[in-house]
Amino acid sequence: MFTHILLPTDGSSLSKTAVQKGIQFAKTVKAKITGLCVIPEWGFSIYESEVPGKFKDEAAAERKAKAEGYLSALSKAAKEVGVPCDVVLETSDQPYEAIINTATKKGCDLIMMASHGRKGVGALLLGSETQKVLTHSKIPVLVYR
Amino acid sequence: MFRHILLPTDGSSLSEAAIQEGVRFAKSLGAKVTGLCVAPLQHPFFCDAEIPAEALEQAAQRWKDQSEAYLAVIEKAARQAGVACDVVYERNDHPYEAVIRVAEQKGCDLIMMASHGRRGVRALLIGSETQKVLTHSKIPVLVYR
Repeated sequence: MFTHILLPTDGSSLSKTAVQKGIQFAKTVKAKITGLCVIPEWGFSIYESEVPGKFKDEAAAERKAKAEGYLSALSKAAKEVGVPCDVVLETSDQPYEAIINTATKKGCDLIMMASHGRKGVGALLLGSETQKVLTHSKIPVLVYR
Repeated sequence: MFRHILLPTDGSSLSEAAIQEGVRFAKSLGAKVTGLCVAPLQHPFFCDAEIPAEALEQAAQRWKDQSEAYLAVIEKAARQAGVACDVVYERNDHPYEAVIRVAEQKGCDLIMMASHGRRGVRALLIGSETQKVLTHSKIPVLVYR
């Protein structure tokens, strides 16, 4: 019923669990997957202009390398069980937008993501990006806890 | 991967669409489903003390009949698809509580529900009960749009 599942990840441990389950699920329903990691555009807030350019570049390169790490782990796990998989790395300050756009562009029919990511606040709320994806997505979203 | 799916319904048309997809999904996985309809306890406009017992009984009966009609939709869809199905009718002023409790009691491993129900407000928000299920559920929730 689902043929192409989008698996966003931010490298958090809950994300990793959701990715694992997502790959398992894709295998069960014979779907293919697209892994996605969205890195923020700006690592810093209002003191942006105070930060020396070199430091900014290094931080950006570090974030990119981490994201590529998460995606290659995802790729590897999918390959191990024979699930067709491609990966996308996006930069955006609104991860939920990148998630929905990627899902749309790729023709995904399900987004499977964790209830929370890096920012935590586990017990009380639904994670902020998951929340926004749910609000704006036009395709079904499976929220993994 | 999912063996027992809970399908809450409030009789709204989006709920009905989610049911059809839920049954189809269960079929594709060889899973069984439990349909659930939750009616409120409180009379919508007045506190119980103001209303004659007879009128309260009539209201309770009406809720029951209506809910059973919504649940019959699930039963019919499941029967037609050859999916094992049972149904539960609950009264609770906080539907999300009943949804989560029934899921636990029945050993469901997935809750599949619509993003919005009767109360609408489609474009801006996710439905209030779906929101609460998402926040408090310990099992995965597939939000159908």
